[in-house]
Amino acid sequence: MGTVHARSLEPLPVSGPNLSPSVDELETVEVEPETKQEVLENKRVIVQHVHIDGISRTKDDLLIYEIADVFKAKNLIEVMKKSHEARERLLRLGIFRNVEVLIDTAQGEEALAEGLDVIFEVKEMRRLTGSYNTMVGNNEGSMVLGLKLPNLFGRAEKITFQFSYGTKETSYGLSYFKPQPGNFDKNFSVNLYKVTGQFPWSSLRETDRGVSTEYNFPIWKTHHALKWEGVWRELSSLSRTASFSVREESGHSLKSSISHTMTVDTRNSAILPKRGALLKINQELAGYTGGDVNFLKEDVELQLNTSLLWDSVLSASLWGGLLVPMGDKPSSIADRFYLGGPTTVRGFSMYSIGPQSEGDYLGGEAYWAGGLHFYTPLPFRPGQGGFGDLFRTHFFLNAGNLCNLNYGEGPNAHLQKLAECIRWSYGAGIVLRLGNIARLELNYCIPMGVQSGDRICDGVQFGAGIRFL
Amino acid sequence: MSLATDMFVCQMAAAEPWPENATLYQPLKGEQILLSDNASCLAVQAFLRMCNLPVQVVCRANAEYMSPSGKAPFIHVGNHVVSELGPIVQFAKAKGHSLSDGLDEIQKAEMKAYTELVNNMLLTAELYVQWCDDSTSAKITRSRYGSPYPWPLNHILAYQKQWEVRRKMKAIGWGGKSLKQVLEDVDRCCQALSQRLGTQPYFFTKQPTELDALVFGHLFTILTTQLTDDALCEKVKNYENLIKFCRRIEQQYFEEHDQESVLSSVSRCSRGSSTK
Repeated sequence: MGTVHARSLEPLPVSGPNLSPSVDELETVEVEPETKQEVLENKRVIVQHVHIDGISRTKDDLLIYEIADVFKAKNLIEVMKKSHEARERLLRLGIFRNVEVLIDTAQGEEALAEGLDVIFEVKEMRRLTGSYNTMVGNNEGSMVLGLKLPNLFGRAEKITFQFSYGTKETSYGLSYFKPQPGNFDKNFSVNLYKVTGQFPWSSLRETDRGVSTEYNFPIWKTHHALKWEGVWRELSSLSRTASFSVREESGHSLKSSISHTMTVDTRNSAILPKRGALLKINQELAGYTGGDVNFLKEDVELQLNTSLLWDSVLSASLWGGLLVPMGDKPSSIADRFYLGGPTTVRGFSMYSIGPQSEGDYLGGEAYWAGGLHFYTPLPFRPGQGGFGDLFRTHFFLNAGNLCNLNYGEGPNAHLQKLAECIRWSYGAGIVLRLGNIARLELNYCIPMGVQSGDRICDGVQFGAGIRFL
Repeated sequence: MSLATDMFVCQMAAAEPWPENATLYQPLKGEQILLSDNASCLAVQAFLRMCNLPVQVVCRANAEYMSPSGKAPFIHVGNHVVSELGPIVQFAKAKGHSLSDGLDEIQKAEMKAYTELVNNMLLTAELYVQWCDDSTSAKITRSRYGSPYPWPLNHILAYQKQWEVRRKMKAIGWGGKSLKQVLEDVDRCCQALSQRLGTQPYFFTKQPTELDALVFGHLFTILTTQLTDDALCEKVKNYENLIKFCRRIEQQYFEEHDQESVLSSVSRCSRGSSTK
C-alpha cells in the first residue's frame, strides 16, 4: 500500500505514481493492462479516521477542534491542504515540539474504497522547560532566568516565569495564559510583574509593580484586547541634579485602569512589510476602578505599505495620542507621551522633544508623528538570496509635534497648537531585520524645525527596537 | 554629601542672597505628618525665623520622597534643594546668616555634643514610640502615614516604613529596649538639657542658636502632640525650665509674626502705628 508523508504543503505532481496502482487494484475484474494516470484533484476521497499519536496529558476535546476541518476534505489535494492547516493549528497551541502528518489509505473492516486515514504524530513538550541567559547593556549586567510550564492542565494553559537579577535593578514577571478550546484567538491571561526602568532623558527612575488581566478576542477581521491593570508606581529622581519639576513627581501612586485595543493587521510581516496596512486604536481609562490616578488616554497607530517596481516598498505611517486628566490633579510624568529618537522622529535624541525643564524632558499630553519611507534592496544586491536579503536601504521623512493642550479651549485651538512648531527630519540609512520581531537601523539624519529646548542628534544615528515610526 | 560637593554647594550658595520665594516642604499638616517629622520641621522653621529669613511653608503628601536625603523637611532656595537641619544651617551660613558666630571653640564643641544628644536620644525615642510601640503604631502612626494614599497602597507603604524603622532600631541596638527603658532615656536626656539650660533664657549667651531651635522643635512637639498615652509628654513636663523655654520661643518667634500681621493690618486701616 502506498503511503504519503505530508510534512509541508509542496506541490505534488498531478500523476501520483504511488497511489494509482493501489486504487486500480481495488477496481473490478477488468483491469486494463496499461497504468492509468489518475488526476488526483478529481479523485474523490473520504477521510474516515484521523488519529493523533503521542498524546499523554493533552485533553482530547482541545484537539478535536483543531483537526475537525480535515474531515471535510473532498479530494486528495484538499486532504493535504487541510492536514497542513491542522498541523499549523496544532503547532500554534504551543504544546507540541513537532507534529508530523501521515496520510494513508483506510485500514480496518469499515474501510471504504476511497477512504483515507490521516495520522498526526506529535511529540509533547516537557512539563518544565527552563532557560538561562546573561545580558549586558547600558553599564549594567544581569542574569535572566526563564521557566515555562506549557500545557499545564492539558488544555494548552501555560505559565511562564521570568526573573532578571542585575547589578542595578531586579525585575520579574509571572504570567498565566489560557486559550479557549477550539478558538485559540480567544484567550485570557493574568500577569504579575515588577519592572524597573531608568530614563536618563527625564532624570527619572520608575519602578512598577503590577497585576493585569487581559482578554483577547477576534470580531470578524479585527482583533480586540480588553485589559484591566493595577500598578503601584514608584518614581524617584535619577540624580541629585534632577530638575525640580521632576523632583516634584517623586513618590508613590496607584493606577487602576481598564483599556481596550482594536487591531486590524493585513500586512504580510510585522517587520519590513511589503504590502498591507495596520490600524491600531487603544483607549485607556484610569481611576474609576480604584487608585489615585485619573485620566483618559487615546492612542492611534496607522501604517500603509505598498510595493513598487523592482522590490521597492513605499510605507507611510501616522501616530497620534491624547491624554486627558480627569479630576483636579495634573497628569503624572509616567503617563505622558514622549517623542523623538531613532524609533520615532529620527535626528533627535531619545525622547528629547517637547516640554522640558532644566534639561529634563517632561513629556506632553498630546502628540502626533508621521513618517514616509521608501525601502529598496541594497544597491547592487550583494548577498542576494541569503544574508543580503535581511538588509534594506531606506530614505525617510519624519515629522511630529508634542505639546500640552489647554483643554478649556476648543478643538480649533488644539489643532493650531499641534500644527505650530512642527519638528521634522529627513535622511537615509540601512535597515537590518532581526528575525520577525526587531530591526536595527543606521541612519544619516538631518533634523529641521528644531525648537529651543530640543536635543538633536544630527549626522549618524543608530537605533534598535521593535516599533518604529 | 562628599566634602567636594559640600564646598561646591557652599560656593554656589554664597553667590546669591536669600531670595524672597524660598519654600519649605513638609508632609501634610493635618492628617499625615508624624511626631518625629513635625519636630524636625518645627526646628527648621524656628531656626529660619531666628535668622529672620523668610520662607513659605508648603505641604505635600510626597515631601519625604521629594527630599534628596529621603527625610522631611527640605527647603527649595533658588536652584538648591537642601534637607534636614544640619545641612540647612550650613547652607544659611554660606549665605552669611549664622546664629553661632559669636560662640568660642568650647561652646561650639558643646553645641555639637548637645545636638548629637538630641538627635541620637530624643529623635530616636520619638521614632521608637511611633513605630515600635504596637498600640501607637496600630492606632495612630500607620493610619496617618498612609492617609494620602488609596487602598491598598496605604497599608503597603505604612507596613514597609514600619519594617524599615524597626530594622534600623535593631541595628543601633534599640531593638531590645522596652518602652519603659526608652522613656527613662528620654528622662535622662531632658535632665541633661535642663541642667545645661539652668535659668538662662537660651542655651548659649542671650541669643538663640541652632541648638535652641532644635531643642524647641522636639520638646514643643512632644508637649503638644496627642498620643495613645501621655507618658512621653509627662517626662518632659517634669522640667519646668524646659516648658518655660518652649513657651518663650513660641511667644517670641511664632506668635510675634502673627501679632505683627494683626498689627500691620490695623496700621493699614489707621495709617501709622509703631510695630513691636
